[in-house]
Amino acid sequence: MIKIISESFNIESEFEKIANSTSGAYSFFLGTVRSDIIADQRRINGVFLECYEDLAYQQLSQIRLKAIERWKLNGCVIIHRVGNLAVGEKIVLVLTSSSHRDDAIKSCEFIIDNLKIDAAFWKFNIIGSEQIPIQAKEKDRKKFLTWKDVVN
Amino acid sequence: MKINLKYFSWIRVKLKRGQDTIDVVEKITFKKLKPYLIEKDVIFEEIFEDNSTKFFLNLIEINDENIPLNEGDEIAFLPPVTGG
Repeated sequence: MIKIISESFNIESEFEKIANSTSGAYSFFLGTVRSDIIADQRRINGVFLECYEDLAYQQLSQIRLKAIERWKLNGCVIIHRVGNLAVGEKIVLVLTSSSHRDDAIKSCEFIIDNLKIDAAFWKFNIIGSEQIPIQAKEKDRKKFLTWKDVVN
Repeated sequence: MKINLKYFSWIRVKLKRGQDTIDVVEKITFKKLKPYLIEKDVIFEEIFEDNSTKFFLNLIEINDENIPLNEGDEIAFLPPVTGG
């Protein structure tokens, strides 16, 4: 399941949707808005998430499919929020389930690493009424490259 | 014919708008669209000079700039993504 939404979500509810007796392992990645980000010497009020939804759904579907083809998963949920988010709010959830922890953990990490460089979302720091685009990080690209021998 | 343009991230901020609908000659290519846009707004020069920006035509990345455009096509201007 893939969702791009402006409202928040409940992790326990998302877990219950994919929980079943054949899954003995669940892995979560939850990304939130940090309070320690400072832009232009000023502390941010929050972030704004912009999205090209038609493309993002297509890209997230491809990322999810790659994970399902590579690991033995029973469930795979990706939720990404859009719009204005205050410090501390949830941004993104990746939830995978499997019989064993190795598949659940590795697939979860792969999905968030791939999402960071290949899904049409853009983050802006909010300072006052100003939106300042955040620059893409080279370390995210390098981190994703570590998967090249694991996932085709 | 009409083409829809969608702008994201710093491109949207710089242009102060998220989209345009433009009227162009039939079968214009993406390559020929570039100088047309620069002539309308010099900011496009900076956009096209930025090697990190990707361009998508109807949700597919443009790899060959000689691709002809058709009525109702959507071109998206995408800087490197920063979600998650």
